[in-house]
Amino acid sequence: MTKVKNRIRRLRFDHDEMTQQELANRAGCTRQTIIALEQGKYVPSIELAFRIAKAFGATLEEVFQYEEST
Amino acid sequence: MAPLQKRALYGLAFGVVWAIAIIVVFIVKGGVSTFTEDQGFRIVIDVLWVGGLIFYGILMLTLRKQSQVDERDRLILGRAPVVQLWAVIFSMVIWTIVLTESYWDQGIPPIFMYLVFMSTIIVSAVAQSIGILIGYWRMGRND
Repeated sequence: MTKVKNRIRRLRFDHDEMTQQELANRAGCTRQTIIALEQGKYVPSIELAFRIAKAFGATLEEVFQYEEST
Repeated sequence: MAPLQKRALYGLAFGVVWAIAIIVVFIVKGGVSTFTEDQGFRIVIDVLWVGGLIFYGILMLTLRKQSQVDERDRLILGRAPVVQLWAVIFSMVIWTIVLTESYWDQGIPPIFMYLVFMSTIIVSAVAQSIGILIGYWRMGRND
């Protein structure tokens, strides 16, 4: 699994159960990419990461976290 | 299923049907010797080949217009030519070995230039779709 974690699922829930499609439309990507992100199977580009954070009205760090390996 | 993945699946399905149709017609109609002598047979194969290529192009363009492609799809699309390249190299190796072993004494008939070119185009089209599907599969496994 990737070391970049995200809280997209949680943030969607906090935003009135925003659908994956709605988030995809706001962030300018496909629903399948949102699914891959939520499953931790894809790390987005910095640009997409910013667009997703903006869609939630959050900062990048509130959405994405980097987990350092010990 | 991502729109690009769906497009690749349609491309693969058509490509396989297209290749099988040409091979079956080629074998049923009499193979290389008939192909060399019979102009009508050559026209049938030409129609199948060029017609298939045009249909494939139209199919891909139509599906492209309908589908959104994002950065993840573009990443996969960018890696697909690796599969395409290996498939073309592999088909060339097969052709080279089979033709040299079969026609070593009498020389390779020029008609095979045509068949090698035709098969390369088909292999290239099908392998691109396979490359895209492998890309989604690998990304799904998180490699």
